[in-house]
Amino acid sequence: MGGSPNQPSPTPSAANVSIKPDTLFSGFSLKNLKLKTKQQELLIRVSILCLVYVLAFITRLFSVLRYESMIHEFDPYFNYRTTLFLTEKGFYEFWNWFDSESWYPLGRIIGGTLYPGLMVTASLIYWTLRFLRFAVHIREVCVLTAPFFASNTTIVAYFFGKEIWDSGAGLVAAALIAICPGYISRSVAGSYDNEGVAIFALLLTFYLFVKAVKTGSLSWGLASALGYFYMVSAWGGYVFIINLIPLYVLVLLITGRYSMRLYVAYNSMYVLGSLLAMQIQFVGFQHVQSGEHMAAMGVFFLMQVFYFLGWVKHLLSDSKLFQVFLRFTVTCSIGLGALALVGGMASGYISPWTGRFYSLLDPTYAKDFIPIIASVSEHQPTAWSSFMFDFHILLILFPAGLYFCFKKLSDTTIFIVMYGLTSMYFASVMVRLILVATPAVCLISAVAVSATIKNLTLLIRTKSKTQQTGSSKATGSTKASSKTSLDQSPPFGRNVAAALLLGAFYLLSKYVTHCTWVTSEAYSSPSIVLAARGAHGGRVIFDDYREAYFWLRQNTPPDAKVMSWWDYGYQITAMGNRTVIVDNNTWNNTHIATVGRAMSSYEDEAYEIMRSLDVDYVLVVFGGVTGYSSDDINKFLWMVRIGGGVFPVIKEPDYLVNGEYRVDKGAAPKMLNCLMYKLSYYRFGELTTEYGKPPGYDRARGVEIGNKDVKLEHLEEAFTTSNWIVRIYKVKPPSNRL
Amino acid sequence: MAKSTTTTTSTTAKDVQALFQTLRSSYAATPTNLKIIDLYVVFAIFTALIQVVYMAFVGSFPFNSFLSGVLSCVGTAVLAVCLRIQVNKENKEFKDLAPERAFADFVLCNLVLHLVIMNFLG
Amino acid sequence: MAKLSIFLTFISLLPLLCYSFSPENPTDRKILVLLDNAAIKSSHSIFFKSLQTRGFKLDFKLADDPNLTLQRYGRYLYDALILFSPSTKRFGGSLDFAAILEFVDSGHDLIVAADASASDLIRNIATECGVDFDEDSAARVIDHTSYAVSETEGDHTVIAADDFIQSNAILGNKKIEASSSLWIGHTLNAANNLVLKVLSASPSAYSANPEIKLSSPPSLTGSAISLVSVAQARNNARILISGSLDLFSNRLFRSGVQKAGRSTKHEKSGNEQFVTELSKWVFHERGHLKAVNVRHHKVGETTEPAIYRINDNLEYSIEIYEWSGVSWEPYVADDVQVQFYMMSPYVLKTLSTDKKGLYSTSFRVPDVYGVFQFKVEYQRLGYTTLSLSNQIPVRPFRHNEYERFLPAAFPYYGASFSTMAGFFVFTIVYLYNK
Repeated sequence: MGGSPNQPSPTPSAANVSIKPDTLFSGFSLKNLKLKTKQQELLIRVSILCLVYVLAFITRLFSVLRYESMIHEFDPYFNYRTTLFLTEKGFYEFWNWFDSESWYPLGRIIGGTLYPGLMVTASLIYWTLRFLRFAVHIREVCVLTAPFFASNTTIVAYFFGKEIWDSGAGLVAAALIAICPGYISRSVAGSYDNEGVAIFALLLTFYLFVKAVKTGSLSWGLASALGYFYMVSAWGGYVFIINLIPLYVLVLLITGRYSMRLYVAYNSMYVLGSLLAMQIQFVGFQHVQSGEHMAAMGVFFLMQVFYFLGWVKHLLSDSKLFQVFLRFTVTCSIGLGALALVGGMASGYISPWTGRFYSLLDPTYAKDFIPIIASVSEHQPTAWSSFMFDFHILLILFPAGLYFCFKKLSDTTIFIVMYGLTSMYFASVMVRLILVATPAVCLISAVAVSATIKNLTLLIRTKSKTQQTGSSKATGSTKASSKTSLDQSPPFGRNVAAALLLGAFYLLSKYVTHCTWVTSEAYSSPSIVLAARGAHGGRVIFDDYREAYFWLRQNTPPDAKVMSWWDYGYQITAMGNRTVIVDNNTWNNTHIATVGRAMSSYEDEAYEIMRSLDVDYVLVVFGGVTGYSSDDINKFLWMVRIGGGVFPVIKEPDYLVNGEYRVDKGAAPKMLNCLMYKLSYYRFGELTTEYGKPPGYDRARGVEIGNKDVKLEHLEEAFTTSNWIVRIYKVKPPSNRL
Repeated sequence: MAKSTTTTTSTTAKDVQALFQTLRSSYAATPTNLKIIDLYVVFAIFTALIQVVYMAFVGSFPFNSFLSGVLSCVGTAVLAVCLRIQVNKENKEFKDLAPERAFADFVLCNLVLHLVIMNFLG
Repeated sequence: MAKLSIFLTFISLLPLLCYSFSPENPTDRKILVLLDNAAIKSSHSIFFKSLQTRGFKLDFKLADDPNLTLQRYGRYLYDALILFSPSTKRFGGSLDFAAILEFVDSGHDLIVAADASASDLIRNIATECGVDFDEDSAARVIDHTSYAVSETEGDHTVIAADDFIQSNAILGNKKIEASSSLWIGHTLNAANNLVLKVLSASPSAYSANPEIKLSSPPSLTGSAISLVSVAQARNNARILISGSLDLFSNRLFRSGVQKAGRSTKHEKSGNEQFVTELSKWVFHERGHLKAVNVRHHKVGETTEPAIYRINDNLEYSIEIYEWSGVSWEPYVADDVQVQFYMMSPYVLKTLSTDKKGLYSTSFRVPDVYGVFQFKVEYQRLGYTTLSLSNQIPVRPFRHNEYERFLPAAFPYYGASFSTMAGFFVFTIVYLYNK
């Protein structure tokens, strides 16, 4: 360019963003604050990540704002109680804790039958905060642990996305996973459950492993082993990792991508990871004894064989000899391996797949053989509406992302494809496992989004660039590059690209509104406090559960034993502080069946069973007055099935009429006189529940009950909550003179 | 059919011999530090085999001790092999990894391994 | 100052003035006697006298006295009740059917006597206690082979019965001669296992109306007929139900008895001895046990732990005393057992006694963890039931209580340490190798 040498070169147009380095710190005002592209990019990335971090946390706080900071549901109460114990008594007491207050009279070794990761994490956070002189209560820490770890998951997702594709995909992945309802459902504030921490551990382990495979470094392998250890300590779903990674290695071996890096990464992770995992009491020796972990061991041995063969091949330069050797070794190893496996399984040393995981492979198994597993609502197969509800547009972006991944196959993209496909299969078998599929779906969709938007913006910017740089020196190279990009990109014009871009942003904004709506309406209910709209639109709160538990806590002797269905066991022990007969751990089917039998029998037989178990109080949940539909009468058939599974004297057809389950006049006589019916409908026949309906109208079932004149001989009513949701009965001692 | 079998067996025997000869000669060419690592690996595997044989006789009563013994041997063997891979100059994938870094990783992993073994042993 | 000290001594003496029923002194003190008419007081005076000489304070009232009350302001005024009012249809005052049953259920004793004129109220009280009188109100127990010889020929309604229950606790050590009276028969409720027949009729007895001819076979026959029954409720309240009011009368105390077909004529019937011994039992002067001082601890320690561990050795001891009428004497028996119970007894041991009332044993906690109970269930005929249960959890081994440093595992220890040493040596050799 011409001009006087004293004058600085004219500042280029807005399209040219490269700035000469010497003008970096020339100005101190914000306008003149010119940063290098890299630093600008870093600033944008960091600020986006910070916003996503905060967003992930605050979007999970709906229930805290609407109700109060309390623990939701059932399982989190057990976790809360154990965390409380850990903070009060210390780690050794916690590790050796024998709880005599649940599963009376069998007791439960809690230290050896739980996954301690969640409790230890929350306790560490609590102790750290205490050390910094923040006087928080452990309950607040517990309530907010899950959102905190959700935020951390977004960071891990960013790094993972960066590994798979590029940093843009990482950012999109972080943003998507921050608000994805599939993840929010189990990590909302108050949902103090293993999954809140486990998904973080899962993604972290996978990220570290992928990094280890990519770099082949022992320290990344060690890191992934430590991540795996954290995952094993947090959730029983670690079986997914220990099966996916061997499967991934196998796929790599089959597709001819065996490499030394893979060897280093897998072996260090497997050996160290298994060893660390066996330190958890609950897992014990399963890594070498259970059928679910044998895939990993098989692949381990296969890797040794591969390495050995590679080494021998390297030593032998003659290929013919090598072929001989190859044949010999391969036949030997396959023979030995098969022999060991068959021998192990036949002799019973290697235990077969347990019911919970077997029902993933054969979804009909649980319904026929294990009613307890089949009865849990989270174990039902997933409907399309659930997928749409939890994933929204990600469901459509998932195949698109798969396409992009297949286009650019590498070790890392193969991994994410496998993770996505296997987790989607399992998500379709069980509703609960949508959670495991969420990170994969988010990552793959992020790839699709990022690649598409990148192409579109490239298209837009290239077009404008070609218009501008017609007169610049660097014409040739840019023209060439734009030409190549033009050849690769679809042949539509800039306007179409801009329109498509706008469409993409519109879709993403719809995703955001959907996610926020779902979080607000569907996943933020504590389920221990119920809310409904009153007649005038105001909100009516039903706090009956806590009312009943505190009544128990304050009005019963400290060693009273409470019998209820297993759903409420954890809550009774945590809030009511009383001994229960069965609780949500469901480890002893016979004990639960005994309770089920007691609930389904006539009052006299039930009284015998209750006397043998030293029961003092019986608690039932009844929704007939409020229309609450998750009450014990609706769960009653499961009690019958589970009880009948162990005690053949309880037969399900006795309680049904023509295969139909009824509680009105046409109900089966055994149904009308069993203990559960009597306890639910005691004094209900005199109550008018709805205007215009006869007294004794059950609002949850929508019928008038059949037997209104309920008389109790061996029990007496102790407490009924204000909306009749929880009813507590006292078991009378045997009659004095008879 | 019999003819081809005998010929194949004879060729197999000759092949096996030739195989071992070639192996021995090419192995002699490996550098010393790799040979040290190989010796270490052999020692670890040998110890593991002894323990398995012992277990086959006596039974696996303190199973955690047995596992910790075997896994410590297997772990050291595997980690040593990983070190060998990373230090071997013929591996093109690791040519820009400093051997000191590889050794440091190795030491770290072994530390973790032995710590866990100590916890698992008793 | 002097006034204060006098006042204080007076206050401190007050407890001595209360000699009502207390667990330390189970023999009843104040007894309310309800009578149909005042004549019963004199016609049964020997019985009442014997009670008073034994230290009981008797309060005689008519059954329809409008001031009758058993409790005031929640406290019972009497420790026992004697109903010698068989024909009363309604009690006066605040007494009624439910009040009497509540009285028994709160641990107080009861004697009910019925005769030919027994009202429905008395019959219902008896039914509530597990005894069913014959529905026919005119029925008597008739026995044509064991009747007592009396003046009226052919009157076989006065029965001489000597089929007493075999129990020293209830009836004392001495043999009782036949007891004779006019009886109303009753049977025990088959579903009730707390009532006992103290005096049963002979196998040839039956219950029917002696005035009219039998039209159908009688419902109560043979030794199923009980003439005098007792019941001990689960809270150890004792109830005596007698089928005859005359059993307690002076006339039958003094009269002799001769059983038909026997030549011996006893000068004095066994009625007085029978009734006296029975009343001693009913009013807790005999056969009353208490179990105190349940202690359990690990062998070698003295404090009671809150939780045991499996395979611990522990000692259990309990003290059982028997009330002799005036003081607590050590109870001596060799069949008291303790169970270590969790849905079924895992350990069942007989306690050994030192003859001074202390029963103890030691055993090893089973290899099962859970919430166990020390259960002592002692039910012997005529004695109060001892039913104690102490809950104690049993925990499994802690992670550092398992056997360690097993010789069988030395090769594994050796191998682990050798790999560590090998690692150390290897690093040195590798690092310093040229």
